[in-house]
Amino acid sequence: MFELLPPLNDHNLPWMDTIHPIVVHFVIAMGLIAFLFDLIGVIGRRPALFEVSFWNLLVATLAIFVAIIFGQIEAGLANPYGAARDILSLHSTLGWSLAAVLSVLSGWRYVIRSRDPQQLPLAFLGAGGVLSLLIVVQVVLGNQLIWVYGLHTVNVVEATRQGLV
Amino acid sequence: MAVVYLPDPSPIETIASDLGANGLPYGLPIHPNLVHLTIGLFVIAIAFDGAGALYPVEKRLFRFLALPITRAGFHDVGWYNLLACAVISFLTVAAGFYEMLLAVPLPGVTSALGLDAIRTMLWHGVGGVLILMVIVAMTVWRGFQRFVWRRDYGRQVQWSYLLTGVVLFGVLGLHGTLGAELAAEFGVHITADQLLASGADLREALP
Repeated sequence: MFELLPPLNDHNLPWMDTIHPIVVHFVIAMGLIAFLFDLIGVIGRRPALFEVSFWNLLVATLAIFVAIIFGQIEAGLANPYGAARDILSLHSTLGWSLAAVLSVLSGWRYVIRSRDPQQLPLAFLGAGGVLSLLIVVQVVLGNQLIWVYGLHTVNVVEATRQGLV
Repeated sequence: MAVVYLPDPSPIETIASDLGANGLPYGLPIHPNLVHLTIGLFVIAIAFDGAGALYPVEKRLFRFLALPITRAGFHDVGWYNLLACAVISFLTVAAGFYEMLLAVPLPGVTSALGLDAIRTMLWHGVGGVLILMVIVAMTVWRGFQRFVWRRDYGRQVQWSYLLTGVVLFGVLGLHGTLGAELAAEFGVHITADQLLASGADLREALP
């Protein structure tokens, strides 16, 4: 059955480059900017920004599920070593948790927007702050997998195939 | 005439003792993280202006979904996300140049696009500045459409603006591939790759 799977390249991937780090552009950027625009909207009394935040939050929520699909595939092919094994587990757990957090926030935000799009309760602003913090932690974990442990980089894949790590 | 003078040691070696194994004075590179913001904000800005432009087509779909929308709301996303993108991208380029000045690519590597390290870095560096210029120009263009030329229109953007945006998607994809190769193939600022190149055993160096 395994011969039906596509061959893996020198990144240990069935496709050219890692896709997960590209999809997460839309979770990180949209999640963080939603909080920033909410903050400016509340402090600067610019309710038009709440609509911009709502759509960004919705995009982040849709994108995280795509990010998880590619993340799981690429994690499965990553051959983590040393402390990277624990970091990858944490990154996966927090990734799925963020999907839940984003979904709940999107639902909550939809109700808020349906009732009065010109108002944003402070509780939601606080939740947005927590979301931003979780995103930052998640980004740091993902960064360590790439920039410290070099998972899916040609050099590390080669060393792994030679049994050096 | 070919280059006849190359200093030895290279300038980077005078500060090598201040740098970590990844070639940076800090643990994780900053530029690739700011890139998330630049690309995410730009793509979604253009996508929502596209949704605003095609509003007459898709409004039935949103009515079917019972999701209340306004055309102005879509164009607000297009404008504010692009504005944020333009501001942040100056930092993206600045961090990129700092980290590229400190880059020590692995020797003897040719990328999947057939370029060596220095050509990849030159294209990525010059391309980054040009893309920043296009983003800033598009932000000014977008501002004129929003506040002057198309202030009284439902569709706030010109088709030529959307087309320019979609063309830049392609440029960003190619440009991002060069950047990704600098990391995943040339090992720039990746601790494990640099340690392996120095002959270290990762089982001891990165337990």
